[in-house]
Amino acid sequence: MNSFWHKQREGLITLVLLSPGLAGFFGLFFYPMLLTVILSFRPEGREVGWTLAHYARFLGDPAFRDVLGLTFSLAVGATVFSVLLSLPLALVLREKPKGNRLFRLSILLPMMMPHLISALGLLLFWSKRGWANLFLLTVLPFLKEPVAVNYTIPGLILFYVWLFYPYTCLTTLASLEALDRSIEEAAEVAGANRLRVLWHIVLPLIRPGVLAGSVLTFMMAFGAFSVPLVTGGNYRPLSVQIFTQATLYLEWSAASAMAVVMAMAQVTFLTIYMRVLRRPIA
Amino acid sequence: MSDYMIEFVNVTKRYGDIVANEHITLQIKRGELMTLLGPSGCGKTTALRCLTGHNHPDEGRIFIDGQDVTDLPTYKRNLGMVFQNFALFPHMTAFENVEFPLRIRGLSQSERREKVVEALKLVRLEGYGSHFPRQLSGGQQQRIGLARALVYRPSVLLLDEPLSNLDAKLREEMRFEIKDLQVRLGITAVYVTHDQEEALALSDRVAIMNKGRIEQVGTPEEIYERPGSQFVADFIGLSNFLEGTVTAVEGETTYLAVDNLSLGLATTAGARVGQRVLAFVRPNEVELAAPGTMSGPEVLEGVVEKMTYLGDKVDYRLRLGDRLMLRVQSGGTVRFKAGERVAVRLPMERCRVIGGGKA
Repeated sequence: MNSFWHKQREGLITLVLLSPGLAGFFGLFFYPMLLTVILSFRPEGREVGWTLAHYARFLGDPAFRDVLGLTFSLAVGATVFSVLLSLPLALVLREKPKGNRLFRLSILLPMMMPHLISALGLLLFWSKRGWANLFLLTVLPFLKEPVAVNYTIPGLILFYVWLFYPYTCLTTLASLEALDRSIEEAAEVAGANRLRVLWHIVLPLIRPGVLAGSVLTFMMAFGAFSVPLVTGGNYRPLSVQIFTQATLYLEWSAASAMAVVMAMAQVTFLTIYMRVLRRPIA
Repeated sequence: MSDYMIEFVNVTKRYGDIVANEHITLQIKRGELMTLLGPSGCGKTTALRCLTGHNHPDEGRIFIDGQDVTDLPTYKRNLGMVFQNFALFPHMTAFENVEFPLRIRGLSQSERREKVVEALKLVRLEGYGSHFPRQLSGGQQQRIGLARALVYRPSVLLLDEPLSNLDAKLREEMRFEIKDLQVRLGITAVYVTHDQEEALALSDRVAIMNKGRIEQVGTPEEIYERPGSQFVADFIGLSNFLEGTVTAVEGETTYLAVDNLSLGLATTAGARVGQRVLAFVRPNEVELAAPGTMSGPEVLEGVVEKMTYLGDKVDYRLRLGDRLMLRVQSGGTVRFKAGERVAVRLPMERCRVIGGGKA
């Protein structure tokens, strides 16, 4: 008996020390999620009974599939353009040009600002009489009409990129700066010009970092709520749709079902993404 | 065809106010292994980077095989280089690392395979092609680095402290391996190091650098036997410096007053009475004996201040007269203990004058 307690002591102490954290985890995270899942299987407005009706309704509805498609397109578009923007930016910043500290700080700006404020500001900036259009109309003589950005899909992607590219940019910059410069020099001495060094050496080596960053950007973009709510107009990605379903139509069970579908879609996509891109790096 | 494989002509490189290379002029012959030797910060790495094209000299020109490469980008210079930290491509296998320069040069797959296999054989790592760098030991990684630098037969092989990251025993082994390869391939090589022993063992000629300038260029023997400056004498091997005034010249012997001691030296051309000169003698060239057993103008007497037993030799620190300290190393057994008086013979032909002392 004595030896039993002796053996279990360390495990018990660990359990006791972990219990506040576990309680928080289950109470604040796991329990609400479980509730949402359960709610999604309940008939609307009831506390009892089980039904698959909500899932059947949404998954069979072409309009819902469009919403899912739109959410994906926005997130993928934002991720792709974030990577395309982050790579050259990080490559330049790595060389530490004059004023790069200010620039590095300004990368954080979209992360520090509340998304709602950013969204409103972007709407103003890109509106038909906003600064962006005033500038473009002045500079480009062939432009006869202001560019329509607000409430369009390219506009939404542009806003998403502005809001969520820092995640990709920072990780890209960090992996670039962790690279040993002599490896690139070795490739140069061996006969590779800068483009080939970039392609054969730098890009493969920073791939894990870029991947990690782009996953963050993707998740932020997929789950974005306040920005599409304010700037999306008729384009309503899943998060906005769920919000409408719950607060406007008060269909909580239906909204829960959508939320579960959204979570599943996100997890599935990310798993595939990681599998495809994350070939083991030597 | 130019006589020289590499020529630095009056190369100067500044970083802000710091002059890293000042009027470097150096010719390196075909098939020669030239070492740039000096303490850290002496400018040897800057000179090497000027040669690779990673630095652009502010003044002067650099020629490789008679061609002015000063403005040529690195990748067009056809150099091979071995790095201190190996700098292998971590995402490629050893085979792919060695293959990389050939792929860049657009060789066919069969040609590449043949040359890589040959290069791996050259560095005795035939079976290791499929290993990633992290699976190889330091010595093996550096040999892959060597194979990668040689596989495309560059016109020049550059080695930037290639042995510094290896342990002592391996370092000595690799030293001979590198030298052997260089001679077998007949390739011109520039070797950068701060390790004088390495430099003496490997080089056909050594360029000693100090504060951005080349102090002396010569064969290892010339550098060791006839150092051109106090810096060189001090940097290469151990030296005792004797600074004094010429008091008399009598035929073959010049008398020098060092502090309050009188010392005889072999007369060098142009020695004048009253001149300040700096002479040096190596610690292993000094002879010790019991007091009173030796005599002559080159014999002094002193006291052993400190004796250190080093196994194959014994290191004495002697005090001669009031202030002059002399370091002596002699082989064999301990013959004198601290506090004992000894007779010290500074052989005339081994006490060499290296120009005027600091006035």
